[in-house]
Amino acid sequence: MSPEMLALLADSFVETIYMVGVSAFIATLLGIPLGIVLVTTGQGHILENTKLNAVLGAVVNATRSTPFIILMVAIIPVTRALAGTSIGTNAAIVPLSIAAIPFLGRIVEAAIREVDHGVIEAAQAMGASPLQIIRKVLIPEALPALVLGLTITVVSLIGYSAMAGAVGGGGLGDLAIRYGYQRFRPDIMLATVVILIATVQLVQSCGDRLARRLNKR
Amino acid sequence: MIELHGIEKEYRGAAGPIRALRGVDLAVAAGEIFGIIGKSGAGKSTLIRCINMLERPSAGRVLVDGRELTALSGRQLRAARKKIGMIFQHFNLLSCRTVFDNVAFPLELDGKSRREIEAEVAPLLELVGLTDRRGQYPAQLSGGQKQRVAIARALANNPKVLLCDEATSALDPQTTRSILELLKNINRKLRLTIVLITHEMPVIKEICDRVAVIEDGLIIEQGTVTDLFVRPQTATTRDFIRTIVNHDLPPGLAARAFSPLPQEGSSLMLRLSFLGGSAEEPVIARLIRKFDVDVNILFGNIDTIQDTPFGTLVVELAGEQAAVSGALNYLQAHELGIEVIGYVARNARAVG
Ligand SMILES: Nc1ncnc2c1ncn2[C@@H]1O[C@H](COP(=O)(O)OP(=O)(O)OP(=O)(O)O)[C@@H](O)[C@H]1O
Ligand SMILES: [Mg+2]
Repeated sequence: MSPEMLALLADSFVETIYMVGVSAFIATLLGIPLGIVLVTTGQGHILENTKLNAVLGAVVNATRSTPFIILMVAIIPVTRALAGTSIGTNAAIVPLSIAAIPFLGRIVEAAIREVDHGVIEAAQAMGASPLQIIRKVLIPEALPALVLGLTITVVSLIGYSAMAGAVGGGGLGDLAIRYGYQRFRPDIMLATVVILIATVQLVQSCGDRLARRLNKR
Repeated sequence: MIELHGIEKEYRGAAGPIRALRGVDLAVAAGEIFGIIGKSGAGKSTLIRCINMLERPSAGRVLVDGRELTALSGRQLRAARKKIGMIFQHFNLLSCRTVFDNVAFPLELDGKSRREIEAEVAPLLELVGLTDRRGQYPAQLSGGQKQRVAIARALANNPKVLLCDEATSALDPQTTRSILELLKNINRKLRLTIVLITHEMPVIKEICDRVAVIEDGLIIEQGTVTDLFVRPQTATTRDFIRTIVNHDLPPGLAARAFSPLPQEGSSLMLRLSFLGGSAEEPVIARLIRKFDVDVNILFGNIDTIQDTPFGTLVVELAGEQAAVSGALNYLQAHELGIEVIGYVARNARAVG
């Protein structure tokens, strides 16, 4: 493979990492609170608010049931407004984040729900406020599961980012389509696939290892 | 220290409302160990959780240390709860925190500095005997050790009251005894008022000063533990006592025909419960001297409730009708628990 091709692969890889990194960051920032709110506003929980809970649940379901490729096209006006353009890596970050937030939200919800109710009760009996319970009980107790959830989200984002690349988002997916498919370069195609697989493996094993380290059960 | 007035609690169940508590009045004095015993589903957990308002009563008032908890706002209630410790059947420790950090948890909630926390947690770990385990996680501890951590954690805010919800029900008998000993120790050392609920009579017998029996959402009987043992008023209480004091008649006796009224040539069968002083007094010897009756001891058993001897005897009184009823009156005048089992025909006696 020529040096130019290698440089192209490296650039595309960096683009993928950038897209996935930024959208994972945004998803973490908003998806974790979303998941926590989904649990704590539920019936009988520490911030019970069943109306808010129902509305959020419906929005999350709507986003999650829309296929990513359709979501990406459907929100082009939003993407333009936020990123100033509808093509390129920055533009791809918008749909990636919007898809990842409810995805992670549901995973966080499941993780937080796993926290033993007795522990929450013990904290309440000690006079902890709802915010203290979230910060000092729910998040720390669910941390291993949260790390695993975040790992799954990043892995999904890598897949989605390749899809976003296919429609002009840049990154490895873009490269694979333009060179591997349109210019019939199987070596490029193979290289991108190998890099994607290796990246996913690496992310997954790091996540697994970290979660195991954090788990004190 | 704790007053409950007309506490009611209703849950919404699938098949209509469930009345878990139906008007409970209770007063617990400062410094005492108060037990609440009842069968499964009687409402014990609901009741103890009403004391710190983990469960808000549907009706009634809760007063702890002079403050009416039922009248407090959320924030005031949280502040009040810091003076009410609680321990649970399943310990409810934070699995991601070490022993030390679990005990430090309530202090962290109060925003104390690391130095203050260190100074306060160390003596608590000492008190519960876990100083050498401070860096371990709950998963590395035995049940008894976990409950000790929970006790230290509950004491961190210097509470006036400690609520124990089946605190020993998940532990084996030896560990149960050591945890009860620790609770008693704390009760004396810190003048801490303890309310504990249980379905096990040995727990009540071991450490409680007073006890209430709860059934179907109502307190059906209460008094000192010794009173309850000597003079149980209800069938439920007798059932509980039977779990540790053998109240059954020996088979040879149980097979005989009892009648509630005296008959020609019949003798009277009694079960006597002695407690403390009267267990040592020679009541029976005096009875024989005073009345013209034969006393036949058929069955006997001596136990201790905390440090007080507690005995039960099944005796048969035989003699003239007047002498027998005189003897019965004499016994009833003493500090004795008496249960008339019935009259049996003397000629049908199987045992000498
Ligand atoms: N959250 C709830 N929702 C509906 N019903 C409840 C709830 N909690 C308790 N109950 C009902 O209230 C009654 C009393 O329950 P409670 O837990 O106080 O009993 P308990 O004496 O502690 O029993 P156990 O020894 O089994 O723990 C039971 O009939 C129970 O089914
Ligand atoms: Mg219970």
